[in-house]
Amino acid sequence: MDILAFLAQGFAVALEPQNLFLAVIGCTIGTLIGALPGLGPVNGVALMIPLSFNFGLEPTGALILLVSVYYGCMYGGRISSIVLNIPGDEPAMMTTLDGYPMALQGRGGEALGISAVASFVGAGVATLGLALFAPLLVEFAIRFGPAEYFALFVLAFATIGGVTGGSLIKSFIAAFLGLLLGSIGIDAVSGVPRYTFGLYELYDGIDFIVALVGLFAISECLIYLEDIRGTSRPTLTLGSAIPGVRAAGRCAPTIARGSFIGFVAGVLPGAGAALGSFLAYTLEKRWVGRDGRFGEGDPRGVAAPEAGNNAAAGGALIPMLSLGIPGSGTTAILLALLLSMNITPGPLLFEQQPEMVWGLVAALVIGNFVLLVLNVPLVSLFAKVLQAPGWFLMPMVVMVAFVGVYSLNNSAFDLYMMLGFGVLGYALRKLEIPTVPVVLGLLLGGQMEFNLRRAMSISAGEWNILWSSGISVGIYLFAVTLIVAGLVYSWLIRGRRLS
Amino acid sequence: MSDPLHSDAGRVPGVVGDRIAGALLLVLALVAWWLSHDLESGFMQPVGPGEYPRLISLPLAALSLLLILRPGLNQRWPGRATLVRQALTLLVLGSYAGLVKPLGFLPASLVAVVLLVRLFGAAWKPSLISGGVLTLALYALFEFALGIPLPNMPGLDW
Repeated sequence: MDILAFLAQGFAVALEPQNLFLAVIGCTIGTLIGALPGLGPVNGVALMIPLSFNFGLEPTGALILLVSVYYGCMYGGRISSIVLNIPGDEPAMMTTLDGYPMALQGRGGEALGISAVASFVGAGVATLGLALFAPLLVEFAIRFGPAEYFALFVLAFATIGGVTGGSLIKSFIAAFLGLLLGSIGIDAVSGVPRYTFGLYELYDGIDFIVALVGLFAISECLIYLEDIRGTSRPTLTLGSAIPGVRAAGRCAPTIARGSFIGFVAGVLPGAGAALGSFLAYTLEKRWVGRDGRFGEGDPRGVAAPEAGNNAAAGGALIPMLSLGIPGSGTTAILLALLLSMNITPGPLLFEQQPEMVWGLVAALVIGNFVLLVLNVPLVSLFAKVLQAPGWFLMPMVVMVAFVGVYSLNNSAFDLYMMLGFGVLGYALRKLEIPTVPVVLGLLLGGQMEFNLRRAMSISAGEWNILWSSGISVGIYLFAVTLIVAGLVYSWLIRGRRLS
Repeated sequence: MSDPLHSDAGRVPGVVGDRIAGALLLVLALVAWWLSHDLESGFMQPVGPGEYPRLISLPLAALSLLLILRPGLNQRWPGRATLVRQALTLLVLGSYAGLVKPLGFLPASLVAVVLLVRLFGAAWKPSLISGGVLTLALYALFEFALGIPLPNMPGLDW
């Protein structure tokens, strides 16, 4: 079996001392960042990218570090949900519903233990799925021409708005704004400078990393400034997490269902972990029916969303690696990292650099075990971090972002650009215009245009090449289906709000 | 990512905010469209460098118009005190960006961090202490652990 041989090769890469070290460091930092209220995986990974560049890591190592941070954040997000009732990030939202009531009842340790096991199983299922399904997708995608790829990019944009459930108009505005920003720079085909206004700093286009750190980390700080006083929090006794690990056995069917649902939600482009945890929780509630006491501290209410969001996080890596289309905000940032290292994810990546892909898969398996080991005995240590005052944490985040971005090019221009994107990100968030489609536009715009123009060159200017193959028509149909599904989903959400 | 799961607390009808944003985006789209006409089409290229931005700016303009006509929801905008604090934070960061090279990393960062910590609500004493600690920690991290040279103070080279 090919996959097993590849996986063995992957483990050989991931078990190299340096990579193992990076996985452990990444998991630890990720858990810490994820545990901090307000800082989720998107911020965590965005913040780590300049640092990983500065480490001078080769791409495999950098990718291992960042996905470990990613998985770590997904684990850590539940800590502040359960202990403080503040979700560290969006996917951790559902965990507050039953996790915090459990903590108030003195069962915080149990909740943390259950959620650690649920996260472990969810992430494990997703990693297994990645190893099994990504190669299948690659075999399918290898037949794609430029027109099919263009359709795929359309699919990515068509779905991101609908499935995240916000305003469709605003999501699409965000995507087109990102695409427009992405068209700045020297045109790769003709060499003509486009929208550079004579600024040579813009000739290479807008640096993804500068834009990302600004959009996420800087805007986060501006948001934080609105509420610096904070609220007084009751001190809770957590107790040991070990009983939770045992109790997780009773939640096994819940965890299994949550992992499966989350994984499927993660693979769908644009859906991401928030949908994974939401669906896992609501479906579990419906499944268990009136037997459960959801919302009052039912352990299954912690197990389902945690399994769901971690499975979705791993599932989102599948379209990112095999098609080059990120399934979530964080995978978009991982894609930015790859692109800035001149690696284009997609079917060719699996053929040309199998050691990287399979090393990554193996690193995820290892990271998942590391996270379980870190999270069960050390969880109270991570919970302590939550007591660090915001007036220290936020300036630290800003400074790490600043120095990290500055040292990329030693350029003050980059810093001003980052601040500009910070203000933009802040305004977008206030306007409830999602920032992730902006990032996607910025990232994918170049490839999208390249494929469009290549397709047009092949057809000598005939536009109908774009919908002349069965595959591309199928992709467009799929996009339409997902938009409709998104509309239904947001309709359901609205119904839930009213009830 | 927009968040479907947030409660409605803190959300207000975005009539003013959305319309201003829509107008700005509309102008942006029109300017982008107009500027794209200066871009020469490449030799033997059926689709030149101008077409793609035009393809984007059209729907952007249409959607912006739609946003002006049908504004949605916004988050509540902060009060004046917060806006001043945010503006000051950006001012500190902007000045820091310009001054880090001429002044050197250590003095520029120390001042910037202390002011930032103040702006985030700490008193002077913890600001000074945490500012010093954070500056030295960052310096150690980048200069020694990562081996990235940071700008030195003028006249001091080691």
